[in-house]
Amino acid sequence: MSQDIAGTAVAGQVAMVFDLNKCMGCQTCSIACKVLWTREEGEEHQWWMTVNTQPGQGTPKDWEDMGGGRKKDGSPVTGHQPTRAEFGGGWEFNYDEVFYGGKGRSVHLKPTDKGDGTTRWGMNWDEDQGAGEYPNAYYFYLPRLCNHCTHPVCASACPTGAMYKRPQDGAVLRDEDLCQGSRFCMEACPYKKIYFNEARNVAQHCIMCFPRLEEGVAPACARQCPGRLTFVGMLSDPEGPIHKLVNEWEVALPLHPEYGTTPNVFYVPPLAPYRLNEDMSIDYETPRIPPEYLESLFGPKVHSALATMQGELDRVRAGGTSEILDTLIVYNWLDLFGPFTTDPATLDRTPDKVAVSLTAKRTEPAGG
Amino acid sequence: MQVPEIVDDALDPADKAWAAVPSEKVPLVPVPIEEQPNEYIRTAWRTRPYGRVGDVDVAAVQRGERLLVRLEWDDSDEPNTEFLDGAGVFFPDAGDSGAPLTIGSHSAPVRLWAWRDRTPMQEALPAARELVASGPGAFRAAGLDAGDGENEGARPDAVSALSGGRWAVVIAGDLARAAAAGRMGVVVWDGSNDERAGIGAVSPNWVPLTVK
Repeated sequence: MSQDIAGTAVAGQVAMVFDLNKCMGCQTCSIACKVLWTREEGEEHQWWMTVNTQPGQGTPKDWEDMGGGRKKDGSPVTGHQPTRAEFGGGWEFNYDEVFYGGKGRSVHLKPTDKGDGTTRWGMNWDEDQGAGEYPNAYYFYLPRLCNHCTHPVCASACPTGAMYKRPQDGAVLRDEDLCQGSRFCMEACPYKKIYFNEARNVAQHCIMCFPRLEEGVAPACARQCPGRLTFVGMLSDPEGPIHKLVNEWEVALPLHPEYGTTPNVFYVPPLAPYRLNEDMSIDYETPRIPPEYLESLFGPKVHSALATMQGELDRVRAGGTSEILDTLIVYNWLDLFGPFTTDPATLDRTPDKVAVSLTAKRTEPAGG
Repeated sequence: MQVPEIVDDALDPADKAWAAVPSEKVPLVPVPIEEQPNEYIRTAWRTRPYGRVGDVDVAAVQRGERLLVRLEWDDSDEPNTEFLDGAGVFFPDAGDSGAPLTIGSHSAPVRLWAWRDRTPMQEALPAARELVASGPGAFRAAGLDAGDGENEGARPDAVSALSGGRWAVVIAGDLARAAAAGRMGVVVWDGSNDERAGIGAVSPNWVPLTVK
């Protein structure tokens, strides 16, 4: 019997671009998502949107060593299912002891250690550690969410057909009525952006804020970003900034393209100050962030992307103009959101309307 | 297997009524790797042993409109923090002649009464559920599809106990379904070995049921 779940043909592909030169690690995107989607029991440790400092071990801890993904011939790469301890977080604190137990002056507020390792790691545990030595230390921030891949190995690994690629926009969703909590998706996903909801025995992940998309509203992480660095739109829209940044100018790249799943979240890689020599003079030949490190994240195309960006910078500094830099500066905030510019405050949010918009029920047959 | 009638409920596997009910040792084998539902699962488990529970003691009684099946098996492994032990019994539609090895198929799905151990956070979840099984791991909750006949009053229930390195579980469900099938299959998942979905141990042959 063979019932492999193939990637679904989609009418269009919703995509995102993060300009890492502008991300300041403020976690507003993470909080916007957390507040909107993962506040219930079983979701305490879930951060569908995370921002981690690079280089770093990330979320879950050492996720890049956990396998998953797809070989060049399309066959699956087996992976490790991240544990609760590797995700960490979702802590309970000793509020009663500190606030009501008469120990406010002797006991510090701290996570309650249940012996399961969850207090020894967390969503942004290694913030700002980075790498390198003074005066050439370096780091940058990497926002991550589900990549809504063109080849979603998570869906291919699901035995029940609960996971699917939505035909109208390519968002990778899960019909929770069909999910049996077997978590093969968590193993198969090379980006380790799928979580297990223990209370409900289902897996969960970023849903690209599909109820918002259906109303023309950008995902919460993008709309709340104060740095104007998160683009949302349809990848195939030739006039949209995402198509231009990814396909035309080739300055936005997928994370770990070697994982083989063809992500639809892209990153403008970070330029960095030059290194300083021992006498504190500037070494104009050596970027502070090692190019080989960036290549390990974004693949070999990162070098040409950085060269293009540097060339644009040099031209503007010489008095010229740059459509690429103008696009990335984002003079008009709504230019970030492609067709999703509706103000959510203007929507009908009556309960019946909300209930209808929140279904991810799979409509086409599972396995098709 | 004879299915005697009992008067009082015996959902508790420690109930004294079970002492008088003959049990049958049913051998189990791994669900075949070739039958697993997708390439990922086949690749991940092709060289990894699974279906580690080799046999299970099975007894069954009927009480009113309920069939109660008692399963008991050895499990001395340390519990796994990610996956929990589970077991189930399943019933083909009357007349279907397929083997139980695959836990149903698309052309001949079976009804699976599935019990799984629960964590403290999962206490609100039902102890057992009725699933429509169309192959190894291709399970979906009964009642999702129009006309698939979920009967609110016949929903399965289960009580379990782990003692001295042995699980004892009683799963109860709709007697009429079992009587119509006239036989059942058995599946056990060893959670300490990450077994779930189609990765488990299954009875290679149907267990005949003689229901009065």
